[in-house]
Amino acid sequence: MDQFRLNRDEAEQILKQKFGLERFYDEQWETISRVFRGERLLLIERTGYGKSLCFQFPAIIFDGLTVVFSPLIALMRDQVNKLQALGIKAKCINSNQSDEENINVITEAKQGVLKILYIAPERQENMTWLEEVQHMKLSMVVVDEAHCISVWGHDFRPAYRRIINLVNLLPKGLPVLATTATATKRVENDVASQITGDLKVIRGNLVRDNFRLYVVNVKSDDEKLIWLGQNINRMDGTGIVYTGTVVETELISKWFDFINVSSRAYNSRLDAVTRTEIEQGLLKNSWKCVISTNALGMGIDKPDLRFIIHTQFPQSPVHYYQEIGRAGRDGLPTVIVLLYNPEDRDLPEAFIDSAKPSTVKYQRVIDVIQNELLGEKELMKRTNINQTQIRVIRADLIDQGIIREVYIGKSKKYEFVPNSKPFDPSFYDQVRVAKTNELKAMMEYAETSQSRMLYLCEYLGDMVNKDFKNCDNTGLAKHHVYPSPEWNKKLDQFRLSYFPELPIESEKTNLINGVAGSYYGVSNVGSAIHRCKYKKGGDFPDFLITLMLKAYYSKFSKEKFDLVLYVPPTVSGDLVRHLAERVSTVLKIPVSHGLNKNRITQEQKDFANNYLKSDNVSGAFSISDPQIISGKKILLIDDIFDSGATIKEIGRYLTQLGARVIAPLVLAKTVSGDKL
Amino acid sequence: MQQAAYWITISHLKRWKYGQINELINRIYIDNGSDLQEFFSLDPEEWGNNYAIDEKRISSLLEAKEQLVNNAFLAESLYNQGFELIPLNSPDYSPTLKDNLKLTYSPPLLYIKGNKQLLVEDSIAIVGSRIASSRGLSFTDNVAKKATERYKVIVSGFAKGIDKAALDSALKYHGHSIIVLPQGVMTFGSGYKMYYKQIIDGDVLVLSTFHPNAPWEVKLAMARNPIIYGLAKEIFVADSSNSGGTWSGVKDGLRKGRQIYIRRPSEDETSANNLLIKMGGIAVDEKGNPEIQQETEKQAVSTTSIQDNLPSRVVVLLTNIALTAKEICTQLGIDMPSKQMKEVLSKMEEIEKVKIGRSVKYRVRQPEIFDLK
Repeated sequence: MDQFRLNRDEAEQILKQKFGLERFYDEQWETISRVFRGERLLLIERTGYGKSLCFQFPAIIFDGLTVVFSPLIALMRDQVNKLQALGIKAKCINSNQSDEENINVITEAKQGVLKILYIAPERQENMTWLEEVQHMKLSMVVVDEAHCISVWGHDFRPAYRRIINLVNLLPKGLPVLATTATATKRVENDVASQITGDLKVIRGNLVRDNFRLYVVNVKSDDEKLIWLGQNINRMDGTGIVYTGTVVETELISKWFDFINVSSRAYNSRLDAVTRTEIEQGLLKNSWKCVISTNALGMGIDKPDLRFIIHTQFPQSPVHYYQEIGRAGRDGLPTVIVLLYNPEDRDLPEAFIDSAKPSTVKYQRVIDVIQNELLGEKELMKRTNINQTQIRVIRADLIDQGIIREVYIGKSKKYEFVPNSKPFDPSFYDQVRVAKTNELKAMMEYAETSQSRMLYLCEYLGDMVNKDFKNCDNTGLAKHHVYPSPEWNKKLDQFRLSYFPELPIESEKTNLINGVAGSYYGVSNVGSAIHRCKYKKGGDFPDFLITLMLKAYYSKFSKEKFDLVLYVPPTVSGDLVRHLAERVSTVLKIPVSHGLNKNRITQEQKDFANNYLKSDNVSGAFSISDPQIISGKKILLIDDIFDSGATIKEIGRYLTQLGARVIAPLVLAKTVSGDKL
Repeated sequence: MQQAAYWITISHLKRWKYGQINELINRIYIDNGSDLQEFFSLDPEEWGNNYAIDEKRISSLLEAKEQLVNNAFLAESLYNQGFELIPLNSPDYSPTLKDNLKLTYSPPLLYIKGNKQLLVEDSIAIVGSRIASSRGLSFTDNVAKKATERYKVIVSGFAKGIDKAALDSALKYHGHSIIVLPQGVMTFGSGYKMYYKQIIDGDVLVLSTFHPNAPWEVKLAMARNPIIYGLAKEIFVADSSNSGGTWSGVKDGLRKGRQIYIRRPSEDETSANNLLIKMGGIAVDEKGNPEIQQETEKQAVSTTSIQDNLPSRVVVLLTNIALTAKEICTQLGIDMPSKQMKEVLSKMEEIEKVKIGRSVKYRVRQPEIFDLK
């Protein structure tokens, strides 16, 4: 084959023509020439090094198609756009594209039109893909973000298990390139031991000396908001603020709105169109910053991100390095700030502790599957376990060889593996200990008095011998937060004007997005509601109702409602009735007591997943005088908004009866993890 | 199995017969002490020189080699879903199948799901028409019950009628069963759901010899019949008409010298069972017990003159090998000039002439049902 004879000079001529680049780095060329020899390689290089070129270049030389498994849709899209701009035939298949788009891409791949195809590892579980890939001519397989292979990695993904199995079945001589920016020695060894057939490792150094690393000690969430308010506009260029939760992304973005800083919140709950729009906006510097959970970042190939601020420390130095690694790829000075409060450890600790459901739940799943072939939805219904946990359990049981995923037609089911060993939870204890140690190491980064860059490099297995001057321990000034009375006042005003939205609009009903007085978990809101509901604490206190009415005015000041309805209680009690009556009096909208339950339901909080919650309330409501609903705009009152299943069911029912608008208004909205 | 992609590739070579594939596998593993991965990394010239493969077959090997990566994807999907691949040289490969079909007709690769131990147990097949008579069904139930009591595995083809009844009875009596699919293992979706419990409890094994993605087809149903017969030590026929799968399958089995038990139909039945009994099948009663007079008839046959019996002896002899006319005379212990034997052979419809090297040899005409490649 021709590629064997291609020497570096010839290759660099092609490189100039096709990619507009002058020459390869030595390690790039070493990797590429080994790929041409059909070897299996693990390439560990820092973000921004140019790992992608190590498969993109060979891909345009090979006759067939190069398939790239990549876990991040944003990254795929970004790389595909760049390749297309260079005139290279690259496409991606992912869940954000329509089925039709994906099918077109598959057709092009089968026709041999494409050179590079990006897909998510999870696609390897898709029957259509599995059938179609058997008709493509493949020249190379690439596993991007290969640290996801290892359970010791910071971002282990069960779908990678199948990629390993696949790689181990590929014929000898087919090049396989695994790449990552963040692999500790342990992860490297783990990856190497899983990929059979002589995996060679190429490791570069991870130093980023254009970073300016700061840690700012804060005592509360308020201090974080104030620091951000005081400093965000002092930063050069555009950047990312990373938070620990989805709620925080919304909160900080509203805070920035309030103090006239342009920003957008980005998180996994946004729809694909919005997410793409924000990613594009970030590339074009449309806002000062994007506030995001770790859902954003790995995918963004923006060389000039000038700053990254964390309001919550990540689970490990590897996570941290990965997240900050996206900034300053152009080599120019870049500011990296961690707002550090040791008490924030609760959140990552909760992640670690809740990472694994109880053994009893694992056994419940095994027992059910032993008797019946079930899909995810049926499994959730049979076991009353929520989706997140079911997915963790499922992945672990597959990992332990106790169950496996099969297809009946195109639908996925889970079957029991005969003669398999009983479930062994001890392995996950080891993982938990390892993760707890990683968290400690992250806190050490914040608390160290040594060079922060050196700390990160050494943690990642990159032994550098260099005298760094790029952090607030080694030559840069320390930063502090100064909560002035003026800023405290601004923050108070903000707190009183910000109300959580209830995203419930759908095409099938006339429900519109509602609003809550507060989050359940904020200050004393949750405990006040809990006391009234479950401890016979009397009617809801005034401050809650005031908050709710403020929320009403901020959201619905322009709406005119005809009627107040309220959700009938599961257990006897007049709390919500009294609440609705007070709302009716204040707003001068008539209230109807006609909405009733026509059968006994259980409390929604007893159900761990939405399927069971929907089943619980399905068809449960009726109204004594249905004719009053037709053509009306209705304000629907409840105390707590959790999954929204009850509101949806009532919305469906009232829409059938001809309601023109149904707007939910509640005291508090939960976020996942709230205990009611 | 690390080399699964290679096994899938070699087992479905276009224009190669099972016998040719198996012969190549033997040469690779036994004669050369090599393996498929090494074989596929040779260049076409080396295939020609080291393995005496002609150009036509080299071109289909090259075509197949292009599929290796694709077959790796297929293999991953199969393993992930709990299917197993059992190649010809595996200790798990059914010894009964190999024994009955020999190297010439044994499929190089079995795709299975379920308890593979069933492949090495004593087994019977119950076959018959898709439109079964009530007598045929009750016969099937009787035979299945008896076999189950004796811990024999019941092999059947998952067709309507007798096949399905055989499976149902096996399960009713808590016995073991092998379902031989007329399609690829990946296209049996709802079947796995229907027999989920039995498969995971180890009572049922699903087996196919076809490409895993192959959908049901008449010709696959036909090609599946010899596999059913091959997997069974004894074959019981409940119902047969004078055409169709059972009819051609039983005839093929008899030609290959298999002992096949045929239910003796009562006089009011319009069945071809009696015809099959005349062709050499062993008549059995509704419980599956051989009839006494059948034994005497058989003895009578065996005392007839050598000359009268010659064609059927030739057929038995040439079922799995090709021989020259002279070799046939020697093997049968007949004192007859080769020329005269050639005349006899040329009159026999079931025998074909093949040129192997320089010599002209004779063998049983390859039945059409094997010509799938």
